[in-house]
Amino acid sequence: MPLMGVPKRDRAFFLALLAPSALLVAFYILLCKLFTQYSLPAFRRYGLSFLVGTVWDPGRVVYGILPALAGTFVTSIIATLVALPVSLSMTVFLNEYCRAGVSRVVSSLMTVMGGLPSIVYGLWGATVLPNMLRRYVMIPLHKYLGFLPPFACSPVSGWTVFTAGVLLAVMITPYVFALINEAYVGIPLRYREALLAIGARPYLMAREFLRMIWPAVIGALLLGLGRAAGETIAVSLVVGNVNSMPYCIFLPGQTISSLIANNFPEASSYPLMLNALYAAGATLLAIGMCLNILGLTLMSRWRRCMG
Amino acid sequence: MKDSLKMVSITVALLVIVSLTVIIYESVSNTYAGHAPVKTSSTVGAGPAVYLRMGGATFPAPQYLAWIKEFMKEHPRIKMSYELLGSGAGVSRFLDGTLDIAGSDPPLPHSVWVKHEGKIMQVPTLVGAVVVTYNIPGLNGVTLNLSGRVLALIYKGVIKYWDDPRIQALNPGIKLPHHEIFVVFRADASGTQQVFTTFLHKAAPDVWPSTLVGKAPAFPVAGSGRAAGGKGNPGVANLIKSNSYSIGFVEWSYALENNLSVAALENAAGEFVKPTPRSLLDAARAAAVNLPKSPLGDFSSDENYIIYSSGKHAYPLVAWTHLIIRTHYGDPAKARAVATFLKWVAEKGESKTIPGYVPVPGTVKQLILKAAEEVLSNSGG
Repeated sequence: MPLMGVPKRDRAFFLALLAPSALLVAFYILLCKLFTQYSLPAFRRYGLSFLVGTVWDPGRVVYGILPALAGTFVTSIIATLVALPVSLSMTVFLNEYCRAGVSRVVSSLMTVMGGLPSIVYGLWGATVLPNMLRRYVMIPLHKYLGFLPPFACSPVSGWTVFTAGVLLAVMITPYVFALINEAYVGIPLRYREALLAIGARPYLMAREFLRMIWPAVIGALLLGLGRAAGETIAVSLVVGNVNSMPYCIFLPGQTISSLIANNFPEASSYPLMLNALYAAGATLLAIGMCLNILGLTLMSRWRRCMG
Repeated sequence: MKDSLKMVSITVALLVIVSLTVIIYESVSNTYAGHAPVKTSSTVGAGPAVYLRMGGATFPAPQYLAWIKEFMKEHPRIKMSYELLGSGAGVSRFLDGTLDIAGSDPPLPHSVWVKHEGKIMQVPTLVGAVVVTYNIPGLNGVTLNLSGRVLALIYKGVIKYWDDPRIQALNPGIKLPHHEIFVVFRADASGTQQVFTTFLHKAAPDVWPSTLVGKAPAFPVAGSGRAAGGKGNPGVANLIKSNSYSIGFVEWSYALENNLSVAALENAAGEFVKPTPRSLLDAARAAAVNLPKSPLGDFSSDENYIIYSSGKHAYPLVAWTHLIIRTHYGDPAKARAVATFLKWVAEKGESKTIPGYVPVPGTVKQLILKAAEEVLSNSGG
């Protein structure tokens, strides 16, 4: 009787905690098992050509997800490039130039907005963005910077990889901003006092503070991207849903999430398609995990340096 | 003391994890693997009401829902619902026993039919049409003439501009703009694409090979940058409305509802026909002679006869939509309810048809009645 001597209440408490924790672990084990079980047939049949193949043709039972993978990367990179400067500028502007009252009201408002489901921004973006971006951004970019490969193709429509990237940025920016702002506001007052004491102006102040919270910025971006990767419906509304490589960002394309969202309902009517979709999901999962591990490692290394 | 507590906690945790894994796995594998069809008779119980669970294709859903509403008014003790799942999901849920009746646009493929021969029946219930729609500033509301060959060339990416001589030749009186064609198709696998690509293949087999026929074909134009896929009919219609100089295809009822410009298509007899109840019925009549004589038969090739059919005034982009039923329902009350519904559809369905749908011709109604009799005779009551 190894539990003998332990007070009864503690034993009950221990067991009460154990059950839900075990449930969580069991759930993850099953998730992995299910993913492996369903995706293995696809990986076994196509091997590496599943990842580097460009043809997705259920009729001929050929599945390659390179265009969707590339689309996922390109849209994520565009989303990051747009969301990062916007949320950084907003943070610095609010904290260094606005009066305390204004900044408090605006930043709490933005924090509330950041917590809203991103589909709210996604639906707005999906109706407004494609034609607006095409007229005011894509056509001018193509006209003046067309010699650069990413802008080389003429934007026939607004339903492109570029639009999807911007839409993702719209969806994650409030969230990313809320996280960065929280870190910025959380910097102890004594650092501000110290900088003020040496006569720092807002520019120097922002430079030093951003340097301090840099890991939080990366963490916020990774969390934002993780959020964006799950957004399927809004992206599939603007990305064009075409299986072609995004050599140029003004071409229509697709992402892994939009591929899964579009094909899942009828997947059972094609041989191996369900397996291929699970395999695509597993690939996304693996990439997401690598990114998260990378982000967390960077952060903890930085903490050790600071400590 | 501390060590033993640790030991116990590890053992208990392992036990709990293993047993939970087994429990959850069992329940999950039951739902997903789809073996062991669940007996559905328990829903009736002692009460007088019978529940029929129906679901599947989205195209006939508005009509089915309208029928169910009227039917339930006349038969208040039969409760029905129709779940919008898509044809494929509807069929797989029917086969694993979750649905009593499935709605599917395409008939069961030959291989599936062989596996379940004698246990299931199929009947066409409605005639539907796919229409080609476009958005050309200045020409909206004007009816363009198009042929299967020209459409195949557009979806192949060969014809790139609206004023291409091959389009212009079909529309002598119309001034077409020199503008790139923006081509829209479905992003999701769908029966609509199956119908459309079958038409392209039948009308121009040299341009559109059979490998490009299917619910989710790899449209060659996709790589050109002048194309996009929309999810469902609303997605396609939205892309066409918001992009000038675009072309695409949607279900007829959807085009009617949204006031889209609809093209006249060249049929097998060389006539340019617009979709109308008459031109759809012409196609159905011409194709009905090739249907199996019994609902137990193999319907898998019936779409081949109605698409691009031989009818002189027939609209070419036409398809049946089917109901799939069991020959044998475990519960006699349920069998009687299914038979009553089928009989009602054959006899009164036509008078309750809503715009955009065309009821099946008389010979096909006989098939529906036969299916009702078959279900009744197997009810074992």
